[in-house]
Amino acid sequence: MNPEERELRKALDARSGTPSPEFRSRLGRAFAAGRPPASWMPAVAAVAVFAVCAATIGVLVHARYVATPPRNAASGARLVTPGPTPTGLIPMPNVAWLDAPGGPVWVVVAYDHLYRSTDHGTTWDRRQLPPNTVVAPMVSAPFSFIDDMRGWVLAAGSPETQCNAQSSMVWRTLDGGAGWTALQTTGIAGAQCKDGITFVDETTGFVTAWDDNSPPTVYRTSDGGQSWTATALPNPPDFKPAQGGFELRAGWIRQFGDTLYLEASGHQEGESTDRAYVFKSLDRGASWSWMEKIPSPYVAMVTESRWLLLIAPGQSQETTNSGQQWHPYASDFNTDTPVGGPQVVFSDSLVGYAEGRAALQRTVDGGLHWERIQTPGTANSG
Amino acid sequence: MIGASDAETLQRAKDGDGRAFERLIAPVLDPAFRLAMTMLNDRSAAEDAVQEAALKAWRKFGGFRAGSEMRPWFLAIVANECRNTRRGRWWNVLRLARAPERGAAESDVAARVDLDAALERLPPHHLLVLSLYYHLDMPISEVAKVLGCSEGAARQRVHRALAVLRPGLALEGEP
Repeated sequence: MNPEERELRKALDARSGTPSPEFRSRLGRAFAAGRPPASWMPAVAAVAVFAVCAATIGVLVHARYVATPPRNAASGARLVTPGPTPTGLIPMPNVAWLDAPGGPVWVVVAYDHLYRSTDHGTTWDRRQLPPNTVVAPMVSAPFSFIDDMRGWVLAAGSPETQCNAQSSMVWRTLDGGAGWTALQTTGIAGAQCKDGITFVDETTGFVTAWDDNSPPTVYRTSDGGQSWTATALPNPPDFKPAQGGFELRAGWIRQFGDTLYLEASGHQEGESTDRAYVFKSLDRGASWSWMEKIPSPYVAMVTESRWLLLIAPGQSQETTNSGQQWHPYASDFNTDTPVGGPQVVFSDSLVGYAEGRAALQRTVDGGLHWERIQTPGTANSG
Repeated sequence: MIGASDAETLQRAKDGDGRAFERLIAPVLDPAFRLAMTMLNDRSAAEDAVQEAALKAWRKFGGFRAGSEMRPWFLAIVANECRNTRRGRWWNVLRLARAPERGAAESDVAARVDLDAALERLPPHHLLVLSLYYHLDMPISEVAKVLGCSEGAARQRVHRALAVLRPGLALEGEP
């Protein structure tokens, strides 16, 4: 072994470590709790695609041979998910997804447990995800609710290499997750990985899609999720897209009044951090224009003009003029998440929620002070 | 490789016995964690990656073929989790915050910092192959199994990763 190889081994050793006894013990408890459910999403998505194709062909054939116009075949049957079975605590959750549409707050814990709170996260009741649905780990916004009853879930199959393609389907509930309907969607292409779903009211919603080699797509619906139209994001002046991972990726979408805001970010060659931007739409998402560069994709909009970048004490920032100037913000927000990033969502100008490594936090003063709250279904009582 | 004496444990694990699965995976947890640490350079991130990999392995263990080797099978799952982690956008936010700082002016320290920084910048597929070969000391045949390629291709990947890490860094012998 030559000296340089020895140096390499030393450098690799310096990055290494051994698992703690607590970690081993937690894993042991998770195994003892039983085998986690398998993900049926790829199979379900394939069946759905097949069903949609068959239905489309059927409608076309019917329209050709029968002189009556086809009925508007909107959706599949409404499926009532069996009620929750008492399975005890969720073993070792390290990820959760949040949505806070005004009053209620919704959370999916550990990929397949949906909960709703109508008292700001103090108590939770278990709701059901669509049948056999497990949230895909790489999807950043797998569901969207507009109140305590009406919501949508974006179920995505396994992505192909480099996110060239990924099957998806959209489910809708009108009764807070008691029953779900698989929508027979049109317009969402198989190409690209699906990253998130956002509805801003009962008819207008968005699905974002991305891959490493082409511009992002923002699909828009104005009929509650059945037909979708692809829209494009213009490139900001200082962003040069290129194949191989240097394309933009759309993130969160927020609505204030009649204006919609969308975050997108992307990597540029030779830079260590992503460039992030906010786009704006004045026509309900039919078109988007570049608005402002922001310091991180993890900026949260509290109001139309006040945005926060919450990282850790001493590192957080605030803008009160829609991103034109940023200044340090003395928030006590902290997160122990090393991966995935904290999700921060505000339901109004004061109340907000954050998630990091499945630990939930709440603020009631606009983001200055945060307190841990219970992660439903877990032993984490905040 | 799962030996004949472990056949019963293997079958019990395939049938859903968590304790049996824990017994099978225990010997490979340590190398899995070391691999995740070198790939991610962060204890919490490594714990998350190994945990996710372990739960995924547990979920699909019913399809594990008797006679297969546990270590490369599990390390391939861990490597995939680490790649997913590094693809996340938050990863880039954190990387900026902990960029290595240059300390004293001594040349060996500077060289070490350079090497650390080079490892930090190294694309995950190159870091993976170096970690397997140089850190876990796996034979090239096993490296190939983790990577899902031939031994010749694995050798080439080691050379290519070294060339990207630091031009001029040469192996003494063929891997």
